[in-house]
Amino acid sequence: MAAKGGAAPATYSPSPTTFKKKRPPIFTDVDWVRPDGRDFHQCRPAFLRTGAVNAASGSAYAEFGNTKVIVSIFGPRESKKAMMYSDTGRLNCNVTYTTFATPVRGQASSDNKEISSQLHKSLEGAIMLDTFPKTTVDVFALVLESGGCDLPVVISCASLALADAGIMMFDLVAAVSVSCLGKNLVIDPVSEEENYQDGSLMITCLPSRNEVTQLTITGEWSSPKIHEAMELCLDACSKLGKIMRSCLKESASTSQE
Amino acid sequence: MVGSANGATDLSSEMEVDAFRRLFPLRFHERHLLESVRPDARSLGKARETSLALGAVASADGSALAKIGCTTMLAAIKMEVMTPSKEAPDEGCVAIDFHMPPICSPIVRPGRPAEAAPVVSKHSGMIDLKELSLVSGKAAWMAYLDIYCLDADGALFDAALLAAAAAFSHLQIPVVSLNDDGRIVVVSKENGEKAKNKPVNEEKRKLKLRSIPFALTCILHKNYILADPTAEEESIMDTLITIVLDTSCQLVSLYKPGGPALAYESVLQDCIALSRQRVKELQKILNEAILDMDVD
Repeated sequence: MAAKGGAAPATYSPSPTTFKKKRPPIFTDVDWVRPDGRDFHQCRPAFLRTGAVNAASGSAYAEFGNTKVIVSIFGPRESKKAMMYSDTGRLNCNVTYTTFATPVRGQASSDNKEISSQLHKSLEGAIMLDTFPKTTVDVFALVLESGGCDLPVVISCASLALADAGIMMFDLVAAVSVSCLGKNLVIDPVSEEENYQDGSLMITCLPSRNEVTQLTITGEWSSPKIHEAMELCLDACSKLGKIMRSCLKESASTSQE
Repeated sequence: MVGSANGATDLSSEMEVDAFRRLFPLRFHERHLLESVRPDARSLGKARETSLALGAVASADGSALAKIGCTTMLAAIKMEVMTPSKEAPDEGCVAIDFHMPPICSPIVRPGRPAEAAPVVSKHSGMIDLKELSLVSGKAAWMAYLDIYCLDADGALFDAALLAAAAAFSHLQIPVVSLNDDGRIVVVSKENGEKAKNKPVNEEKRKLKLRSIPFALTCILHKNYILADPTAEEESIMDTLITIVLDTSCQLVSLYKPGGPALAYESVLQDCIALSRQRVKELQKILNEAILDMDVD
């Protein structure tokens, strides 16, 4: 502890952190190669597991490339004392990052509120809140490593954890984002691509009901591009939904044995 | 499960085991202790299954994931550069933070400091701070060690210390050089242009760990000693004692934060004996994890 006491000496990371402001021309070319060698319309391989945290009512771990996330669900449990009576349940979402999630230590701790509220918005439409009146379900996410597309991974992982906790939902929530880089649309971008993107579009949807709970578009887009990107996302969401479903089935069948 | 519901006359005889466990937790556990067994079928002095994975975090310079039963700890080290203080110009620094994120336990809520957060003590001379020096008086390493509890199921300190020690064993110090502005930069293999500044730490890629501390937490209850308690046991029988021994089984620290049960000398001796066995187990697990990593 002595190391921390007193005036903590200012430190800096020796790695070349200030990435170039100008994006390398390679990203604007028509036939560049993505940093991890994927096709533009190819998602990263997804690894999903439920039951990662024993102390929680339900939990899930998701790994998409270098993006690694754990989500725990607690409840339904008593709401905080200060809360007014409510005959529908409440959803409380919180996303935190580890200090080593980003290349530079402690970089991503500022905008948690924003991510937490987006997580809340994308989940609340899918959950049957009237099945747990007067109580709160807590959704806590921890981003172990940030490798791009953190929010969509957190959302998908959270809905899997909710299912694991036995919270009633209309459907699983699958989330996918697309980045616009010059003329190209790349699905499921890594951090490096996100840093240079012109615009981004994220859809969270209920794949088997074909309903969208949240759609966010930022940056520069033209309407035909938006169309194309939405098609891409919805298609990927339905595939992701299948993977999530099979993960749930797998854990249910192993627990029965 | 042991027939815990054969207390002849009272209510407990006609109750299901799970209900009895929740309503009369202390009697439930004491009934087990009489038979020298614990609810998870362990004997009293036995620790839970322990596993260790090195290099769990790709974005860190050293990392480890430790699991003791369900308790899971993730430790990662990031190396940054600092200017050493005048008093100790050739010493680096180690900064340790322990985090209990809300995911790990139902009693931690965001915004509230975790009550059970153990502070991982200063490393008992495990690291020679002089090894963290780069350029005397100008630059030294600051090793930021962050330990995250991913799943809290008792014996948090033991798991945190194991994860921390393993993360330091895994640590690979990046090769750096002093550039013309007096800043330390990483030498990357692909840029040949930086090679004109000679690396300052080519031979110091690994820390020499002098002796590694290992911990064992025990519960004292009546005249029983329960090694490596689960969260349930900790919440019911609340006298804990934590013993830290180093690799040569020398006592590093002994911590008994109050509690209703008092520790006699013989009890302490017994706890230390249990810790000795545990140190051997843990050392074996750590060595195997390091070997596994070297093979890959």
